[in-house]
Amino acid sequence: MAENKTVILKIKRQPNPNVRPHWEEFELPSRSGMNVISSLMEIAANPVTREGKATTPITYDSNCLEEVCGSCAMLINGRARMACSALVDKLEQPIRLEPFSKFPVVRDLAVDRSVLFENLKAVKAWVPIDGSYDLGSGPRMTMQEQEEAYPLSRCISCCCCMEACPQFNEDTGFVGAATISQVRLFNTHPTGAALKRERLVALMGDGGIQECGYAQNCVEVCPKDIPLTRSIAEVGGDVMKQAIGDLFRK
Amino acid sequence: MTTEYEIHDHDVLIIGAGGAGLRAALGALSQGAKVGVVCKSLLGKAHTVMAEGGIAAAMANVDPADDWRTHFRDTMRGGKLLNNWRMAQIHAHEAPDRVRELEQWGALFDRTPDGQILQRAFGGHTFRRLCHVGDRTGLEMIRTLQDRGVQLGIDVYMECTITRLLKDGDRVAGAFGYWREQGRFALFRAKSIVIATGGIGKAWKITSNSWEYTGDGMALAYDAGAELMDMEFVQFHPTGMVWPPGVQGILVTEAVRGEGGVLRNKLGKRFMEQYDPKKMELSTRDVVARAIYTEVREGRGTEHAGAYLDISQKPADYVKKKLPSMYHQFKELADVDITKGPMEVGPTCHYMMGGIRVDAETAKSSVRGLFAAGEAAAGLHGANRLGGNSLSDLLVFGHRAGLAAAEHAKAVRATPIDSAQVAEAAREILAPFERKAGESPYTIHRDLQETMQSLVGIFRDQADLIRALEDLEKLKDRAEHVSVEGSRLFNPAWHLTQDLRSMLTVSEAVTRSALARQESRGAHSRIDYPGLDAVWGTKNSVVVRKGDTMTLHQSPVPEMPSDLRQLVAEEK
Repeated sequence: MAENKTVILKIKRQPNPNVRPHWEEFELPSRSGMNVISSLMEIAANPVTREGKATTPITYDSNCLEEVCGSCAMLINGRARMACSALVDKLEQPIRLEPFSKFPVVRDLAVDRSVLFENLKAVKAWVPIDGSYDLGSGPRMTMQEQEEAYPLSRCISCCCCMEACPQFNEDTGFVGAATISQVRLFNTHPTGAALKRERLVALMGDGGIQECGYAQNCVEVCPKDIPLTRSIAEVGGDVMKQAIGDLFRK
Repeated sequence: MTTEYEIHDHDVLIIGAGGAGLRAALGALSQGAKVGVVCKSLLGKAHTVMAEGGIAAAMANVDPADDWRTHFRDTMRGGKLLNNWRMAQIHAHEAPDRVRELEQWGALFDRTPDGQILQRAFGGHTFRRLCHVGDRTGLEMIRTLQDRGVQLGIDVYMECTITRLLKDGDRVAGAFGYWREQGRFALFRAKSIVIATGGIGKAWKITSNSWEYTGDGMALAYDAGAELMDMEFVQFHPTGMVWPPGVQGILVTEAVRGEGGVLRNKLGKRFMEQYDPKKMELSTRDVVARAIYTEVREGRGTEHAGAYLDISQKPADYVKKKLPSMYHQFKELADVDITKGPMEVGPTCHYMMGGIRVDAETAKSSVRGLFAAGEAAAGLHGANRLGGNSLSDLLVFGHRAGLAAAEHAKAVRATPIDSAQVAEAAREILAPFERKAGESPYTIHRDLQETMQSLVGIFRDQADLIRALEDLEKLKDRAEHVSVEGSRLFNPAWHLTQDLRSMLTVSEAVTRSALARQESRGAHSRIDYPGLDAVWGTKNSVVVRKGDTMTLHQSPVPEMPSDLRQLVAEEK
């Protein structure tokens, strides 16, 4: 690799949600092993654009830098992914960084992803337990049960699956794959299953599971390889059974 | 600039949303308190998510002989008897209950063949004791606590930095800070405050800690008059990546050496021949650490002040099979292929045993209404922490702090906030904008990291520590003159000036405590005092503010009841 090679980053910037975004370009010396987050940190320490104009450091969310926490998700060359594991050497230049397009921009690359928490609340993504007495051990679970549920619990709430989904938009109000996969996780949990019916009902109707168009983008972009389409298929089947059952019970 | 602020009222305010903070919030909620949680980053993303190993709890699922007594003894021995024995006892007693509760709440622990929580062996633990969820136990813990918090409806104030605790006489009355996003100010009025802000790794150049770890809670408590204890005990892992930047600080497991990894200096020499020719790279952790330190110190280190650790002489398939997560992590995060060439490693700052001095039963500090739990608190781990004891610490003492904070809130009335204190706190936050042409906080932070890394690192001596104190004085002075450009809207340089103040306070406490302790014990290694000292073994270092000066004194280690003393001394 030539010593004086550089990396060019083209970053979409927006000082606040009320103004139009603009682009700024930055040029950094290329070094082996650079990723997008380490480049953003470098810019923060010396915020000067490619044209030599002083600017403000880029705003972005990050935390663990090890692809465990799910904070630093953004659009990198148009693809929803984690910036900490986006290697500069493997990206076409100039590297375009944009905030997620389907979430309200807070500033620059930081967006408000609280809709995921709202969705998780709507489907009651928890084990309903009253914690005010001595509970003793939890339910026994076989190794096999644990191994099946394990991939679902790997979700880092980065929201990449929602950003990449063509159906996740204001028109449909679709809850997105991450939430549906959490429904599967809690519905298969021995105690969590107590709320199974309520969760399935929450996924019926507008914005529910039938909005899925099977584009399969979610499973492609998931940094944790969660079997999201399988979750959607299984939960979809359960929702259908529940709906038919409810119909006959009326 | 406007100094207006919004006001939020709570019975209990928790600062920090990692394992300890969330568990404290759930504890306080269970008592009917109105609870608020403030955190610097996003909910569910706290540093706890990075914990891999597991939660130490004597459940005896795998080894039936395990019990709280053995866990207690292991913890005390690991801490070189400098621990608060009562905390270690409570911790060993209650960890299994806290794990079972987490299981009830839906945490997906790995399983034994008969469906119980699986436990694995870990350094320093007599029995297989670590309850784990693959290698991402911390993330599962946070996910579970967060789901429960979402269910119960905790008020979470995300991306908000607290810069001052406000007091009414001798008691805590609230906290003042700013929203990182908009830069607006916020005042939180509370009857009790729990500090759960974690550690201080970002004061060192090479650290496994995330950007949030700037010692904020310790500095806030210190400023409010609370005592800090055992600050000299900072845990370093001997082999962390020092280069490239994308993976800097990340731990390189000892298994690399176990599988045949070879250490070399910049001259290509396998230097362990000099230090332990028999065991070579498989020598004990402290010998290996000292060897790397000496090589770097004497000018034979790598370009980035480390040593080469090379396992590429082994067949690539073997390495991928034996060290799969290491291989993938480095490949993915920085395109480092450990099967093709050497890694550059050196000591990485990992964990802070010291912190806010608290009461064992209630987690209360020496300031009325102020509590602390988790890494921000001191006492449980003594001079060194066993792996797995930090996650259990978060659960056990987070829970207790939450309960005690709620209880305290019930017993006292809300107190008025002194507007002069608020105005002063606001003025202090804005000062960097008022100054023109001052230094950037980034250069000061970089120099602080250099000082702490090279002079207050894994091995210490008197001359280095004295120099470090001199450096810190200069850095404090420079930090007084920092200036920041631009507006208050999400301004990272401005955020760093606030963090820097915390880091400087805590770094000084670490350095003063390290200079005073003339012995080597646990994680505190003095080159000039290599052995344990019986007299120092009876003392904890305590740092407290007197006026504007940091003072240090020694306080006797609480004496164990005779039955526990016997238990710890037993040959097993």
